[in-house]
Order: sequence, then C-alpha cells, then structure tokens
Amino acid sequence: MKNYVAVVFDDTGKAYQGLHTLWELDGDGAITVHGTAVIHRDNWGQVSVDTKETHPALATAVGVGMGALLGALAGPAGAAVGAAGGAAIGAATGGAVGLTTDLVRADHRDQAADETRFVLGNGQSAVIADVSEDDVSVIDSRMGELGGIVYRRAKSAVEDDAWLNDDYYPYDDYLYPYEYIPSRYYYPYYW
Amino acid sequence: MDKQSDISTALNHVRAATQELHGAISDAASKRGGAVKADIEIIPMKAKAVADSLKGSLGTQNQAAKKSLTEAVTYLEATGKQAAASVKTSGQAFQTSVRQALADARAAAQKVSEAVAATRSNGSKK
Repeated sequence: MKNYVAVVFDDTGKAYQGLHTLWELDGDGAITVHGTAVIHRDNWGQVSVDTKETHPALATAVGVGMGALLGALAGPAGAAVGAAGGAAIGAATGGAVGLTTDLVRADHRDQAADETRFVLGNGQSAVIADVSEDDVSVIDSRMGELGGIVYRRAKSAVEDDAWLNDDYYPYDDYLYPYEYIPSRYYYPYYW
Repeated sequence: MDKQSDISTALNHVRAATQELHGAISDAASKRGGAVKADIEIIPMKAKAVADSLKGSLGTQNQAAKKSLTEAVTYLEATGKQAAASVKTSGQAFQTSVRQALADARAAAQKVSEAVAATRSNGSKK
C-alpha cells in the first residue's frame, strides 16, 4: 500500500538517522521509498524544510507544495491551511499545523483507525516520506527503536483531503527521490 | 542469479540512473544565483540514455511495473526536451525551464520507484 509517513523525533540528529534508516530499509527491499524530506519546527513555531537551497544560517520556509502536504497529513482542515498559507506557511501558519490538527481530531473522529494525524511540536523535527509498504510494522519497529513516533496516512486519503489539483500543489516535488542529507548534518548530528 | 533477481538488479540500476539525473538538475537549480547553462547542456543526453535503458528493460517487467516505467520514459523524454529548450533561453525563462525539467525528472524517479515497488510486491507474493 502507498502511504505518506511522518516520523517525529525530538532532535534533528535522530531525524536524520531515521531518514537514513528508511533508505536502508529500501535498500534491503523491505519497503520502497519514493521520496523523503526533513522538516523542523523551531521554538517559535516556525516550520522549515531542509532542501539543497537551504543556507545554514537561513532556514528555508515551507513553500506551497510542502505546506499543502503537511496540511493534508494533518487532515481536511489542515489542507485548507496549507493552501491558504502558501509560501508563507512557515512563518505565518506553520505553527497552525498542530493547532489545526487538534481541531481536526475533534471533528473527524470517524476516520479510519489506522490513519493518524501528524503533529509536530515546537523544537521537534520530522522525516516526511512517501513509501510503498506491504507491512507497516517494518517502519514502525525501526523508527520506534530510534525514538520516533510514526504517523501514517494512505496516499489516496491525503490526495482526497487535499481536494486541490496536484498540478497546483506538487507536494511530491519537495521530497527527494534519494537519500539527501545536507552536509551540515553529517557532523555533529549524524553519526 | 534467478530471473527475478536479474529483473530487480536491472531495475535498481535504472532507478539509480534516474536518481542521479534528478540530483544533477537539482544541484544545478540550487546553486546560489541559479543554474548555469553548462550545468544543463549535458542533461538531454543523460535523460535520453536513461530513457533508452528503461525502454530496453520494459519487456521483462510485470504489467504494473511496465505501466509505471512507460510513464517514466515519457517524463524522461520531457526532461530532456525541457532541458534542451532551456539552454536556448536566458534569465528568468531559463530558471523556470530548469525547474520544470527538475519536476519532470522527479516524476520520472517517482514512476521508476513505483515500478520497483510493484516488482518487490510481486516477488514477495511468489
């Protein structure tokens, strides 16, 4: 089955270990990873994503595509936030992802039990991944060993929730189709 | 090595080549000040090489993988065309064109990895 997975970690180093582990699992053939990205939410609530364009001293704010994906992972109301937030979501509405999620939880308790809502707290980092997995326990157990909390939504459900033409919200474009770790995270964070 | 392993190995090689293609365009696009034409001139040739390799492996794949790989070929051809067109432009038009080539390369990589998933899933059911 195709799923979007968000694995939340308390620190960035662990998030990159989690990313590395996902690609290792892909290399072993246990899952297939289609794309990954690492995002952070700082102590002021601003969400940023690591890209090749991220300057070490200046985090890249989450753009329209990633904002839409994060919103869609958070549920229908989150998708609206993602769309409305646009390029400014990192600064203006990134902090609302978690808040919106709480509202969504209250309003949509009848969602499938195996789908959980993505929450990123201040100071936390997360690996966002687009994966094909036959057995969800593979990711759950390995990420659990690293201290990560796994949130998962079916790709089809995310696309339904986004209810916007993905030509306009190409969230997959933000996910690298190979293991990409910015050089600054190799040391001291990354073993 | 059995036939299934051969197919998986061939697919993994194509996948790595598609990922490299995306990486090359992505590296160029992320340069401070934007991509330069020298970075992009090689892309159409690389995209064609990967597309040709993919076409060559189509016959050995299962139906689901074949469908994804056929779509990947379309995206690779679009990547090559977009990159070739981009070097004939300049300024903002060039950067926009490079970004479109990057999106096409990303879509090609996605389709190839979907084919890998289909092959793995097919193999695990046997």
